Amino acid sequence: MPKSAYLLRWRVMDGLEALVAAIWPRHFHRALPYVMLLPAVLLVLLLVIGMIQIGDSSARTLDRSTFLPSDFYTAGNYQRIFTDGLYWSILWRSLLGSVIVTALCLVFAFPYSYLMVRTPSALLRKFLLIALFLPFFIGQVVRAYGWLIILGNQGVVNEMLGLIGVAPIRLLYNYPAVLFGLVQYMIPFAVLMLAPALTAIPEEMESAANSLGANWWRTFIHVVLPMARPGLVGAGLVVLTLSLTDFAMPAILGGGSQDFIANAIYDQFFRTSDQGMGAALTLILVGVGSLLVGVVFTLFGAGTLAMGRDRK
Amino acid sequence: MTNKTSILALSRRRFLGGAAALGGLVATGWTGKAFAQEPEKPAEIIVRAWGGSWVASLQAGVSDPFTAATGIAVRHDLTEDNEIQPKVWAAVAQGRVPPIHINWDTTTNATKSALRGITEDLSDLPNLANVTELAKPVGLEGYPIVNTYGYVYVLAYRPSAFPDGPPTSLQVLLDPKFKGRIALYNDGIGFHFPAQVAGGGKLEDIPGNMEPAWEFIRKVKEQQPLLGEDPDFTNWFQNGEIDLAVTISTNAREAMKNGIDLAWTVPEEGSKFETDGLWIPKGLPENELYWAKQYINFALTKEAQQVWLDGLGLPGVVPGLTPPEGLAGDPSYPTEPEDFKHLIRVPTAIQVEHESEWFSAFKSIMQG
Repeated sequence: MPKSAYLLRWRVMDGLEALVAAIWPRHFHRALPYVMLLPAVLLVLLLVIGMIQIGDSSARTLDRSTFLPSDFYTAGNYQRIFTDGLYWSILWRSLLGSVIVTALCLVFAFPYSYLMVRTPSALLRKFLLIALFLPFFIGQVVRAYGWLIILGNQGVVNEMLGLIGVAPIRLLYNYPAVLFGLVQYMIPFAVLMLAPALTAIPEEMESAANSLGANWWRTFIHVVLPMARPGLVGAGLVVLTLSLTDFAMPAILGGGSQDFIANAIYDQFFRTSDQGMGAALTLILVGVGSLLVGVVFTLFGAGTLAMGRDRK
Repeated sequence: MTNKTSILALSRRRFLGGAAALGGLVATGWTGKAFAQEPEKPAEIIVRAWGGSWVASLQAGVSDPFTAATGIAVRHDLTEDNEIQPKVWAAVAQGRVPPIHINWDTTTNATKSALRGITEDLSDLPNLANVTELAKPVGLEGYPIVNTYGYVYVLAYRPSAFPDGPPTSLQVLLDPKFKGRIALYNDGIGFHFPAQVAGGGKLEDIPGNMEPAWEFIRKVKEQQPLLGEDPDFTNWFQNGEIDLAVTISTNAREAMKNGIDLAWTVPEEGSKFETDGLWIPKGLPENELYWAKQYINFALTKEAQQVWLDGLGLPGVVPGLTPPEGLAGDPSYPTEPEDFKHLIRVPTAIQVEHESEWFSAFKSIMQG
């Protein structure tokens, strides 16, 4: 072969291949997937190290004469949490709230996702996509403050009510206001998790059900809903865990009396300088969240989070 | 962080401003000694501060004149006092340079840092010779903190909601007319002690028996109060959400400046009196520590206090300050011993030891 026929870029590629072979011999190739996993594993390891430190802090009580953690391990912080009604009520409020928000989000997100993936109109699909992604550009805190403006005593809603002679109603600073804010915040997450699962349902399945005499409702109940279960489970898990650990909505829309666990953790770390109590509450939150996810996995499988394997 | 600005680079205006400020400083206790063998100047010092009118007042009264006199820029870190605390504690514990030079802090919070042993001693500040007793932190050795002013948790109200005259007692908080229209701090700070009296208890029983306070707070809970932080009170008054609040007079005054019709009073049960202060965390380089101390020393001059505290509407720790317009004789601006008769002061040591359980008890009631 004439020398000029062997292109420069081929020679460069040959050189690179030789370099790669020197650095990463062929018999190492089976390890490649594990090497690629390494960054993710390291990240998780860092989290684990953080959790170990939090665990250590949680077993030390605060000495209020020096404001230093105790030198010895004790279950004092956990004992306080389990015997103080305050933490039980906050835990219950967080759990109930996250379950309600999850249920509402799935109810509202399902028709939205269905319409988005099934509509023949490209214009409508684009509109729904834009409406879905627009809130992502507005952070949670800004959105919560937006609700303060809209739902306040002198807000748009009360002004409109005033036009028909209704006196201002306190729409903010209560539990429903927190749940409302959370649902509005979480719906896009639910839609994003549901849409791929609905896309994966062949339209022909619905047509087949129709041709066999099933009306729309029966098709929905017996075909669409069961086949959408992986998406519902995935969306539910994401919304459930995000709601359970939310801080901003209870803080801003709750008027100070509707704390979730994250708010209680903040108080301990930053208001009373008690890092041990904050750490103990953190571990309890992680434990409760993990337990919930475990229950959902056991009952319904991992949904879309199983990435196509072991779906129930 | 060393200041490399040549004196030749100073503009005429900046030079004149600096010279005037320096003249003022020297005349008011900033002795030439401070400049005799002064250590290398840092490019800036970082002062943690509260936002809004709080930082604006500090800047006008202390930071800008300090910069004009020394050429050292002052950066205000507006991280909340509670949030900077663990960062400073961690930095000192790990032997790192702390993230701020000076912490403008509540005396109670600052005392926690002093007890932890992470505050520099400020006993050698020359201007401490000219301050009142209020500047000295009670129950601590030396000056790990210097208190710089006092403030009162007043009962602020909207006059239009009280056509028959201002409220005189905290019992007004239980009036059904104000259900959902009252506000307290979300940890109850400033309210625990007056509530003890309003609930029929005695101040001498604090901290042993505070059940009267909790009983009164349980009744207040039925009124569905809003619970928030300093900026919330101003917003809530401005947005017509509340008619009554137990808050620092500065917040009510800020809302008034924004055109809201507001007034305040000290109820017959009394109001809590507190102090804020400045302190320096350990671990700063020697030269930065020196200039941080000079900043606090300057904050204790009459001129600095006059401008700073005019902005806040609060009584300082230097004798002879002129009260801001409209505040002479006001219950939120105590200066004479008889002014303190209706104000409640509980020793900082007791507050530091029990604050956490009081917050917890308040939260238990309000979150229930």
